[in-house]
Amino acid sequence: MLLADFGTSYCKLLDTAQNAGPQIIPARELPRDFQADIGTGHNAKRRSTSTVNELTALARGGRRLISEPDFTLLDCGSRDIKFVRFKNGEMADMGWNAECGASMGFTIELLAQYYRLDYAAVPVPESGFSVTCGVLGLSSIFDAVAAGSSELEAAAKFVRGIARNAFRFAGSPERLHLSGGLCDNPLFTACFPCEIVPLGRFVLLEGLRASPQESFR
Amino acid sequence: MNGIPMNSSQAMHNKIGIVGVPPLEIIRQLNEAQAIIVDLDEPQLFLPIDQSDQYLPRVYCAILRTVLLNALNLRLERIYVDVGPGKCDCALHVAAVLKDILSIPVVATRNTDTQSFGFPVCQSSLPLIEKMRRITKGVQSCQPWPQLPSCPPTAGFWGVPPRDFSILAPFPDSTHIYGWTRCMENKTPADLELESYCNPAVPTVFFAQSFCAKTALAKHLAARHPKALWVDCDVSAGSSARAKIEAFLELSGVLGGGRAAG
Repeated sequence: MLLADFGTSYCKLLDTAQNAGPQIIPARELPRDFQADIGTGHNAKRRSTSTVNELTALARGGRRLISEPDFTLLDCGSRDIKFVRFKNGEMADMGWNAECGASMGFTIELLAQYYRLDYAAVPVPESGFSVTCGVLGLSSIFDAVAAGSSELEAAAKFVRGIARNAFRFAGSPERLHLSGGLCDNPLFTACFPCEIVPLGRFVLLEGLRASPQESFR
Repeated sequence: MNGIPMNSSQAMHNKIGIVGVPPLEIIRQLNEAQAIIVDLDEPQLFLPIDQSDQYLPRVYCAILRTVLLNALNLRLERIYVDVGPGKCDCALHVAAVLKDILSIPVVATRNTDTQSFGFPVCQSSLPLIEKMRRITKGVQSCQPWPQLPSCPPTAGFWGVPPRDFSILAPFPDSTHIYGWTRCMENKTPADLELESYCNPAVPTVFFAQSFCAKTALAKHLAARHPKALWVDCDVSAGSSARAKIEAFLELSGVLGGGRAAG
């Protein structure tokens, strides 16, 4: 069975009939006629035989990967951020910020390419911009550079602002499980003011694996 | 007595706009006079809501922006705007705006009716969108509700009728309605106790329009409810709001084999 998490920038694929692990393919390189058996994500409806809601996939994936009964799991994608909070093994809260969380991950990646940044080499700034969305946050970077900041320093403050905003959106937990491509960004994960447990990019795929058999009642 | 009484000849075949739930006495007069009642809270015209920007801030309750859009573009003889505890302070201010910009009478009423008409539609097994349609339509009548069989609830929808009914689509037919919509059906829109009631035994979505004062009550009640989701929407229901509701119902066990409770 072919499972797919059709993200805005990247598609994550898993063929459960194969022993190989999941694949990551840039969304723009996906063949036009590509179809999955079960899909989730923004482009899932037109590319899958059946679809699973992204929050549902995130919650189910979290349940498979996290053994604790109480946890908060935040997924930071290219286009949006979403979280689920479990208490005593039951879903207790959730959120999906597609509007004010717009394009945070996409903008972080765009900045790295534009300014040729290696986020592994960028020190964590002591303060950050007040950022509510990737698009609006760009103005803060341009203003800071115009005022004399280095591009690297301004981009770092932007990333810190994004991380702090995502942290508050998830309810400011003491411990936060993180999902999505930004797990691989050391600057981003270091900017959270709490313990971070990165789970990687395939949490939603794990949720799809759980979909046929798991019930949350 | 609220507002200005009207006689039969005044209202005969005239279009009368209403905002909120005007007092029963007003509705009775309009029914007796066979007036055509137009609910200005609901979208009546295919016009961009931005046209209301001339008179109201863009960041404002979408229902009241719709009211203004309707009032500006429909040929109405008179408008009754309920203000105060049965509606909201914003309606009071919009009534003042309408009085200023329209040449027709705009009558502010304060509905404090206490006679309960019951809420059989809220507890019925009709599809949620149909429940909502009947309740909003029912405001235009002074008659009691026909009895409907009730069903055990598996989910709850608390709040006001949304401007965009599409967010109601994912709910099962066994969803009960709570909040101000229940007050509407009961014809007691100022009954805060009834409005504040919710059922802790069923997963409940607490809804309010963005920028509405009722968002405070929705958020507060959701925080106290053991299994709740608080959602607000502006002009239309975005994909994230719909997806949140869908996921909440799935993860709460309501969809895909939920069980009755309460």
